[in-house]
Amino acid sequence: MIRYALTRLGLLLLGLAVASALIFLSLRVLPGDVAQLIAGTQSTPEQVAALRESLGLDVPLWTQYLDWIGGLLRGDLGTSLVTGESVAAELLDKARVTVPLAVMSLTVALLIGIPLGVLSALGRRTAGGTALSVASQALAAVPVVWAGMLLVVVFAVWLGWLPPQGFPRAGWNDPGAAFRALVLPALTIGVVEGAMLLRFVRSATLQALGQDYVRTAAAKGLTRTRALVRHGLPNVGLSVITVLGLQIAGIIVGAVVIEQLFTLPGVGRMLVADVAARDLPKVQGELLALTGFVLLVGFVVDLVHRLIDPRQREAS
Amino acid sequence: MLRRTALATSALLIGALLLTSCTGGNTASAPTGDVDPDATLTVGLSLEPSNLDIRHTSGAALEQALVDNVYQGLVTRNGDDDNAIVPALATEWTISPDGLTYTFTLREGVTFHDGTAMTADDVVTSLQTAKDDATIQNSADLANVASIASPDASTVVLTLAQPNIDFLFTLSGRAGLVFKNADTTNFQTAANGTGPFTVASRNTGQSLTLARYDGYWGDKAGVAEVVLDYIPDRSAAVNAAVSGDLDVALEVDPELQSQVEGTGNFTIDTGLTTDKATLAFNNQRAPLTDQRVREALRLAIDHDALVETVIAAQTLNGPIPPLDPGYEDLTGSVSYNPDRARDLLAQAGAENLELTLTIPNVYPTSIPTFLVSSFADVGVTLKVESVDFSTWLQDVYTNHDYDLSFVRHVEARDFGNWANPTYYFGYDNATVQSLYAQAQATTDEQQSSDLLAEAARIVDDEDAADWLLLATPRTAVGTNVANFPKNSLNVRLPLAGVTVSSE
Repeated sequence: MIRYALTRLGLLLLGLAVASALIFLSLRVLPGDVAQLIAGTQSTPEQVAALRESLGLDVPLWTQYLDWIGGLLRGDLGTSLVTGESVAAELLDKARVTVPLAVMSLTVALLIGIPLGVLSALGRRTAGGTALSVASQALAAVPVVWAGMLLVVVFAVWLGWLPPQGFPRAGWNDPGAAFRALVLPALTIGVVEGAMLLRFVRSATLQALGQDYVRTAAAKGLTRTRALVRHGLPNVGLSVITVLGLQIAGIIVGAVVIEQLFTLPGVGRMLVADVAARDLPKVQGELLALTGFVLLVGFVVDLVHRLIDPRQREAS
Repeated sequence: MLRRTALATSALLIGALLLTSCTGGNTASAPTGDVDPDATLTVGLSLEPSNLDIRHTSGAALEQALVDNVYQGLVTRNGDDDNAIVPALATEWTISPDGLTYTFTLREGVTFHDGTAMTADDVVTSLQTAKDDATIQNSADLANVASIASPDASTVVLTLAQPNIDFLFTLSGRAGLVFKNADTTNFQTAANGTGPFTVASRNTGQSLTLARYDGYWGDKAGVAEVVLDYIPDRSAAVNAAVSGDLDVALEVDPELQSQVEGTGNFTIDTGLTTDKATLAFNNQRAPLTDQRVREALRLAIDHDALVETVIAAQTLNGPIPPLDPGYEDLTGSVSYNPDRARDLLAQAGAENLELTLTIPNVYPTSIPTFLVSSFADVGVTLKVESVDFSTWLQDVYTNHDYDLSFVRHVEARDFGNWANPTYYFGYDNATVQSLYAQAQATTDEQQSSDLLAEAARIVDDEDAADWLLLATPRTAVGTNVANFPKNSLNVRLPLAGVTVSSE
């Protein structure tokens, strides 16, 4: 087990190293640069060149890359060229919106996906089950933006129950308002991701229902539902944990879009603004942090999977 | 059994929604009552500044938020009175008959937000630094200044190398702002000016909060706090206004305007701007070097129909907008005539022309879509390349690598771009350059504006570009808000006089 964990950790670090190079290079392909944007449309090329030099943009690329990696190894994620603030500090600040949003979205997705997925599998020959299945198919195909606009129109504009956009200035010092601000965005992401999870849980459950051990349990006198709950669901759970890793990545991507739509001051909105401002040191720090997070989720999922699946435990 | 569980699940979800909705309600703004000096004014706008460094960072968003509110110069301009120059940190000034010497009397009792008194030395150093340091925004505006001196503690004298009719206007811009000498404030994240508001806090990606400065030299600000709420999505901004989160919303999407009006809590103001939606032709690149082609493109556009599509706009048939000197109504200089456009293209041998329009992706797609169909009608295939602003700056602005470009030129008095052959328009006309230079150098305002008008007519006659429209944005002002400014709010948003009434 320990060897397994160490191998996975090694892969995680390797993944990060490769990602850092990819992120660094792909950002350098973007046309335009921060110096030009700061100087604006009233500047001469000489002024832009002087600014470029003072920002350290004229040093060779590999020096810039090594500087960045050196900083990372010392635990320094970099400094914004536009505000002079530490990338890590700004990320932590914005994470106070994005992390709760992701957790709430995941909760919504789980609350929708798992119970309804199992129900839809059990009732697959009833009208309700079919309706669920069709609804989930439709919802999973809905673009997040569209779902968000629809929810805003209904719950914020018509009913006035929730704020249509924005986040309280006091942040989590006003926990009620902060929570309310995140409900619609979390529902938006959660419903769409939940619909995808539902379809996955449904097919995993259907598969489990057909397994010999469920049939045997049923033959021993358990009802089909109880046989599924006792023997089938643990197996469904295993596959769900695997797919959750992917869902979390999906939720992060969803958050980037949703934070724009709902004007939430989170990591996603910051990322979009920083790309537009060509604040590359900040963008690469943010992207690496996000990549690291997704890789970490994958790492944890692998470990958990290993820990709770007796078959894999014994194999090692 | 199953159905009941399903029902229970949905009931739970709806219950959660209901619960969260009970914790607070909208506080709809009451009709005009007593002015509340402790009020917070919340203004929704779209473009957020990337930092607070007004000296070094370009962009209208920074000027909009900070000039007049936080930072001031010797003079400023009143957007609601034809951009007239009015006193700020100087109480009065005299201009020598030759137009070369400007003598300013400094206001007494001016303090910076950190409490330090403003001195003549602060003024001299600020202007001298702005002139000498090329990385300061609009530094070139002061290139013509020969000397900056302070004969006594309440006087500052500026001497010009040549007369410049726009000089006071220039001083009302960024290059003329006054900063404390040897200030150690971190200007990227904080501010220290002399204006009626201090920068209280900044939540990036969200808002900028200004607070009334109690040590202000003039009438204290009418509200205790201003929150500039940055909402990039236009329908989100309308929703925020409708649900009572905003007192004022700038640049309301005209198609959604009725929603805001429908609440009964807002009136819609229409303001003038110097925001010229400019369809630039690359005057240095064939076939746009041929005037017949440029004229044909202009004739292919039905400007009245375009204005109807965009709604918050009026036609602008030349390079100078009504708020700037030298404006004259050039309506009729080009009127929609697709037949003539086709003839001209045929004469120029430019049938089946293919052109690329480079446009920053911050603008709505209605205008490029309109152009594509207008041009298709006269046999020109227009390919729209939507790029981010940084790419536009590199490709179009810096490298002049484009056929057609669309941007909104928001700055006031920027006709000089037509007299600058190295500008991205690539328009090079010696007469225009000479007229512009004369218009700058004269000391007679009427003569100056006549010269500008003459130059503008030439630029228009030669079809150097097409001025698609002048933006006249809609501002939704809460019925509880008084004295909100009207014009050019995309570059200046002076809020000191605004008041908010309580119930």
